[in-house]
Amino acid sequence: MLNMTNISKVYRSEMVQTHALRDFNLQVNEGEFIAVTGPSGSGKTTFLNIAGMLETYTGGTYELDGINVGKLTDNGRAELRNQKIGFIFQGFNLIPDLNLYENVEVPLRYRGIKTAERKRRIERCLEQVGLGARAKHVPAQLSGGQQQRVAIARALAGEPRFLLADEPTGNLDSLMARQVMELLESINKDGATIIMVTHDPELARRAQRNIQVVDGQICDFKLYQGGAEQQRATAGA
Amino acid sequence: MFIHYIDLAWRSLKRTPIVSLLMLLAIAIGIGITMTSLSVYHMMSVNPMQHKDEQIFAVQLRTMDQDASWWTVDNLPHQLTYQDAMNLRQSPVPFRQTAMLKTGFGVKPDNANIAPFMEVARAADSDFFAMFEVPFAHGGPWDKRIDLQGETVAVIGAEMNRKLFGGGNNVGKDIVLDSVAYRVVGILADWKLEPQIYDLNNGAWGNNEQLFIPFSLLPIEELKSWGNNNGWKYEEQKTYQDKLNSEVVWLQYRVELTDKQMQQDYRDYLAGYIKQQQQLGRFNRDDAQGDIKYISQWLDYREVVSDDNKVLVGLSFMFLAVCLANILSLLLAKFLKRAPEIGVRRALGASKTQVFMQHLVEVGMLGLAGGVLGLAIAQLGLHLLRSGFSRYEQVAQMDLTMWLAAPTISILACLLAGCYPAWKVCRTTPALYLKTQ
Repeated sequence: MLNMTNISKVYRSEMVQTHALRDFNLQVNEGEFIAVTGPSGSGKTTFLNIAGMLETYTGGTYELDGINVGKLTDNGRAELRNQKIGFIFQGFNLIPDLNLYENVEVPLRYRGIKTAERKRRIERCLEQVGLGARAKHVPAQLSGGQQQRVAIARALAGEPRFLLADEPTGNLDSLMARQVMELLESINKDGATIIMVTHDPELARRAQRNIQVVDGQICDFKLYQGGAEQQRATAGA
Repeated sequence: MFIHYIDLAWRSLKRTPIVSLLMLLAIAIGIGITMTSLSVYHMMSVNPMQHKDEQIFAVQLRTMDQDASWWTVDNLPHQLTYQDAMNLRQSPVPFRQTAMLKTGFGVKPDNANIAPFMEVARAADSDFFAMFEVPFAHGGPWDKRIDLQGETVAVIGAEMNRKLFGGGNNVGKDIVLDSVAYRVVGILADWKLEPQIYDLNNGAWGNNEQLFIPFSLLPIEELKSWGNNNGWKYEEQKTYQDKLNSEVVWLQYRVELTDKQMQQDYRDYLAGYIKQQQQLGRFNRDDAQGDIKYISQWLDYREVVSDDNKVLVGLSFMFLAVCLANILSLLLAKFLKRAPEIGVRRALGASKTQVFMQHLVEVGMLGLAGGVLGLAIAQLGLHLLRSGFSRYEQVAQMDLTMWLAAPTISILACLLAGCYPAWKVCRTTPALYLKTQ
């Protein structure tokens, strides 16, 4: 489903070249929940941005659902991103002027979905994250956890096959973090493929697969048999 | 999506009210000043008979002796002598032709409640009305026969008809002009021909006459000239006949030549006429010649739009450019401040084109609002011109073209100024802001 072969990313300035990713190889199958860990500056976010087509890469091949991303135009990448990928950010990245309904509506508008269908999806997604009653509120009226749930609802509204989460619980307290994590697991159970960047080893253990990135390369990965559900069961015991 | 962009633009403008107001004022003032000068220029340069532009010609003859010159750029007088006008009237070439004189009378109304008044009149041939498409409400022009024999008949304008008779069909009634009774044969509908292409000597606007009489009455009634009289040599004029025989130019002459062949034939005719007159002892110069100029050539030649007006329009557009430069910098600062939001939108699937369009719609809306406010400022400017300078009374106006041009220019100018900021913001790398927002 997602196939990266020898991906490299070099940031160049007048004085130095920085290799954010080098010979990065990864294959992600449909329905997986992958946690990406690694020290700060190791290239986790760069990988996520390239996976989400928010950044271009310097070398290698990246295929998403069999489509060679490197051959797409900017508009083509935007369209693919809009149709297949949902983003969840550490800082939520809600648009402050828009209420929750309108925030969730943003990706649907760019996809050209009709008003009635948009309404149906938005209401369903806000209900799913438990904020159906607060659709007219603006982000500033919500707690951090609630804002992250709105961001998840926004990511879900497009019914993406891929959910890319960059430290989705990084700005939340432990209770909120747990709620958000449970929500992501539920979404994964419903069929979405999730790649989550995190610093939290406990959260990483709840994923099916754990990839560690160091100096722009995958240096290790662990496969947790049974995946997230087993982790929850273990934690509960 | 366009409506959504409008909604986003409205929110964006509301979000930064001070900056939005500054930009609005900048474009409105720029448009207001530009439209004021442009409207005057437009009204001055309009050709009221564009559809017959290359069919109606002013006739000129270089009549002076060898050592005399005229003050015009081509050394040709604007008007003709009486003897030349009378001779040219014999030409069979033109489809229509008319000699003209601006004259005037004391009008004595039948109605005792209306005081006598002075009225400008135009002596012309009957072709005048058809040539310049003057509309009649009642009756019509006098007969061709009268163009030859002279008869005290008149065509009056709608305004004069209302003034003298209270309106209605008054064909057949008499009006008294300088104690002579003239029978009304035609009454015009409301009519305006500006600039007054048939006679630009005494201003191009606001001079359409309300009273027309046959040119053939000129020697009979000894009609006085209320227009320009120019000569190139001293001639003693003791009698009216002396003036008719003189080399004084004081008559306008227009011909309607409907096709190229007719125009060439008329040029040939003028050349032949000059040779004939030279044999009679007139036109004593090597470069004696005649010329015909069609309407737009004539308007240009007579500098109906002065160089001052052109410079003023240029300056006002330069001022608009300064306003746009200010708007550009304000837009750039505003849009780049919004880059994090654009990063989110790009991450959620907005293409560069969609981001670009969103911002262009915003500047377009700003342009529309600026255009509307600019129209109000332009109206104020035109009002000040009209009240301050009487010569601008007729031209400091806005016609439909200018009403539509104001918002159009404003929107296009704003789009021009907004292109770079919109392009700049749509090229921001979304990943740059998503982590840091």
